[in-house]
Amino acid sequence: GDALLPAPQSISVLSTNMKHFLTWSPVIVQGATVRYSVEFQGEYEREYANGSWIPTSECSLTTATVCNITEDISATVAYRLRVRAELGATRSPWGTMKGFFNRATTSLTPPLLRALADGHHLLVELADMGPTLQFQVLYWRKGQESRVRQKVVREVSSVVHLDTMEAGAEYCVKAQTHVEAINRSSSFSPTQCVRAQGDTSVWL
Amino acid sequence: TAGVKIFHFGACRVPVSMTEIRAGFTAIKANIQSRDPIRTLSILSHPHSLHKVKSSDRCCITHHLFTFYVDKVFKHCRTEDSFVNRKISSIANSFLSARRKLGQCREQNNCVCGEESTERFKQILANYEGLNVTSAAMKSLGELDILLDWME
Repeated sequence: GDALLPAPQSISVLSTNMKHFLTWSPVIVQGATVRYSVEFQGEYEREYANGSWIPTSECSLTTATVCNITEDISATVAYRLRVRAELGATRSPWGTMKGFFNRATTSLTPPLLRALADGHHLLVELADMGPTLQFQVLYWRKGQESRVRQKVVREVSSVVHLDTMEAGAEYCVKAQTHVEAINRSSSFSPTQCVRAQGDTSVWL
Repeated sequence: TAGVKIFHFGACRVPVSMTEIRAGFTAIKANIQSRDPIRTLSILSHPHSLHKVKSSDRCCITHHLFTFYVDKVFKHCRTEDSFVNRKISSIANSFLSARRKLGQCREQNNCVCGEESTERFKQILANYEGLNVTSAAMKSLGELDILLDWME
């Protein structure tokens, strides 16, 4: 029966930029394909629903040893996660991850950005990092670091217009990722500077 | 994006992931409402709409209603459909997270309960207890957008 199949071990969550993945060590059975099922339990289930467990949306009878649980971890509370192995009708005991996972602990990386000068227009191109992330973009004219301006970008379409630059002047840009749901931000990206078209000679 | 709405009750600040809650509810609304045979009766809006609540009572009514859903409603809405169960879990855990912040507001006396909100909530409970528990829970869950619309 079930005792033949050991429970999966080394269960942990990798979470970056609000994308959460559960991983575990494979259960090896020579010449056989072992499958896995994953369940989650939020704080609500522990405190108000008799500690019930809920099957994840993506990982029932999967052969992979990683599961995308992003859609299931959809509130900022402590979750527990468990995995079991299955081989035909044989099921292992549940392997339960030690401790809890709260999406507030996701690691946030600075956005990939590219500053552009289109004639006199200062533009920034930001890599899309998913619907739960937004960006805080800071920009200033080089040499006027005290007059930094800010723009919050929620929907990353393509290129974002920041400012109209003075001819020949150099402008700098940096940005950080922000997640409203957990009220946290990443560190800033490296600063990038571009120069506006036209020269800076002064008409006498 | 996962729009978080910040509700200000006096000096108290309560972030609620409204977009996530609405997305979860919208995904199961038809399924849940199809399980509610008595469409002519309302739990949240009978006899008076939530929109008539005085602004001074908003925090208290919100806290009462979040407690109502967490304590009484969600647990009786388990279905045979794991997709629906997942969405209910998502909403329930979001409500639990927000209710905790609302509770902190009450502790800081930023969430005073006037007579009207107490009476209003008693009416909602009476509407709820007038039905058998599963029907009442499904109806209440099916009316979640009434609460969300009123909050926003």
